[in-house]
Amino acid sequence: MSKKVLVVDDDPDVRSFVVTVLEENQYIPLVAQDGVEGFEMIEKQKPDLVILDVLMPRGSGIRLYRKLKTDETLNQIPIIMFTGIALRSFLKSQKALDEFNGGEIPRPDIYLEKPVEPEELVAAIKKKLG
Amino acid sequence: MTANKILIVDDEEIIVRLLSMSLRSDGYETVTANSGEQGLAVFKSESPDIVVTDIKMPGMDGLELLKQIKEIDPEKEVIIVTGHGDIDSTITALQRGASDFINKPVRDEALAIALERAKAKIAIRKKLEEYTENLEIKIAEATEEIRRKSNFQRLLIKSSNDAIVAFNHDWKVVVFNPAAARMFGETAKDVRNKMTIDDLYSPEIVKIFKHQATTEIERGTFPWKEHILHTKDDRQIPIRYASNVLHEQGEFMGTVTFFQDLTEIKRLEKELVQSERLAAVGQTVSGLAHYVKNILIGLKGGSYVVDVGIQKNNTEKFKTGWETIKRNIKRVGDLTQDLLTYSKEREPEFEVCSPNDIVEEVIDLVIDMAGLKGILVSKELDPDIGDIIADFQTIHRSLLNLVTNAIDACLEDEDTSKKHEIKIKTYKDKNDYVCFEVKDNGCGMDKKTQRQLFNPMFSSKGGKGTGLGLLVTGKLIEEHKGIIETQTSPGDGSTFTIKLPYERSNTVEIN
Repeated sequence: MSKKVLVVDDDPDVRSFVVTVLEENQYIPLVAQDGVEGFEMIEKQKPDLVILDVLMPRGSGIRLYRKLKTDETLNQIPIIMFTGIALRSFLKSQKALDEFNGGEIPRPDIYLEKPVEPEELVAAIKKKLG
Repeated sequence: MTANKILIVDDEEIIVRLLSMSLRSDGYETVTANSGEQGLAVFKSESPDIVVTDIKMPGMDGLELLKQIKEIDPEKEVIIVTGHGDIDSTITALQRGASDFINKPVRDEALAIALERAKAKIAIRKKLEEYTENLEIKIAEATEEIRRKSNFQRLLIKSSNDAIVAFNHDWKVVVFNPAAARMFGETAKDVRNKMTIDDLYSPEIVKIFKHQATTEIERGTFPWKEHILHTKDDRQIPIRYASNVLHEQGEFMGTVTFFQDLTEIKRLEKELVQSERLAAVGQTVSGLAHYVKNILIGLKGGSYVVDVGIQKNNTEKFKTGWETIKRNIKRVGDLTQDLLTYSKEREPEFEVCSPNDIVEEVIDLVIDMAGLKGILVSKELDPDIGDIIADFQTIHRSLLNLVTNAIDACLEDEDTSKKHEIKIKTYKDKNDYVCFEVKDNGCGMDKKTQRQLFNPMFSSKGGKGTGLGLLVTGKLIEEHKGIIETQTSPGDGSTFTIKLPYERSNTVEIN
């Protein structure tokens, strides 16, 4: 059975690109355009993988990432961070939030800095979903 | 020193001796003579303070002695001793400057009184002399002090870096220092006491000066004002000047004006603005890199989707990808435009334009796009607003920018139950500003966002904004001496108003 992959990104250009890549590789694409919509979709559809942007209006990727990682029922869903933000900046913000909230959130398994070639994205998805 | 030495002259030896004895016993020092000739000789050798002389004497009489003494020293006191009924001689004596007369036979008291009077006269004269002498010294001192002070002030005016020009009550130039000569390109020789205010200043300034001088006797001070001075040798100098109307006891005396040459300051200001602009662009580079990267992502993604569409002969995919590419090409265009506007000093091209027409054009551009997203765009235009002189491009661009922001603010709004609406108004406010108001009921802004609005690099739109839009708008409106006002409240929407000074937009020179 085809696996469901959710892409959360506010940029329609990115969404249409990722959706096309997913379709081409026989995954079922799901889309959400911000963090809030993304979380609703995850709870409802229980996707097998989430491709997550960082900078979005209404519930950024940073917030959604932490929410998923601290949710016992959802923290096993693999996440690919897919963003224009440098990894260094992302980790810095995570560290600051860790210190502020206490505890430590695991680093993302896969972090892709846009722009990426379709092949790179496919390789990353396959690595997680087999 | 009191007058103490007395010369007694009488041809009668006995009288001389009696008087002498009597006066000595009163404490006077006496010298004597028995004739007019002898009296004159003793007068010359002994230099008495007071002379007491008989009138009738053989040879040189008292009147002749009096005359000669007065010729030698007109200030000596001479008391005349006369016989009874000798009125004519007495009058002659008094006319010749005798200080007093006593009748024969000489009584001691009468003589004492006459002497006291003579002494008092001498004392007064001495005091007067001293006083006069002091007065001369004091006047000399004061004159020197005034000379020193006025010299100091003259040097002060002369050496001042500010040009100083003063007019007297007839509006004739009375002070024209070297700095003024340099500034106006005239020599002091040609100006001072020759030119009037009308020869030197522009009619507009003359009017202000004369008005001030005649109406505002109490408060005759002008604040600093800036002005462009057109000199005789055809230079244009940016200056600032301040004036004072001078009064003396309520009477108009004249005016004085201080001019400062702002050429250097203006040049530095211009440099500063230019370097600030470059710095702002520098700061924005990291934000720009991000923005360019986003465009690249769009273009790459779009071309991939187009490829898939071609391979699979999928028109839907082809269209989606192509739209993405087109959208991103437009983003490159917008960015380039923004960068050019901001980094270059573009001279505004002023022309007559109608505020309402600008609004109509902007609405035409956005109404379809806004409609697709469920946003209503409406207008409320003042039909009597008239024409303004402004750079059409600038106002158009600035207004479009604000309207685009308003649309974004509606799209960002979390409250999707709202009927989103943007209203564009034109009107003239009470200060005669021509106003363009863009009001939305979108997401609004918090205080922090509002503060950062006109900073470079700042964008509340994540990767979608260059952070240049409002910065560019701010700069453009500033070039028109206009202002942008912001009113906002989170959740309720924002109102941005461009205000252009009406007078300026109407009177600014058309280049």
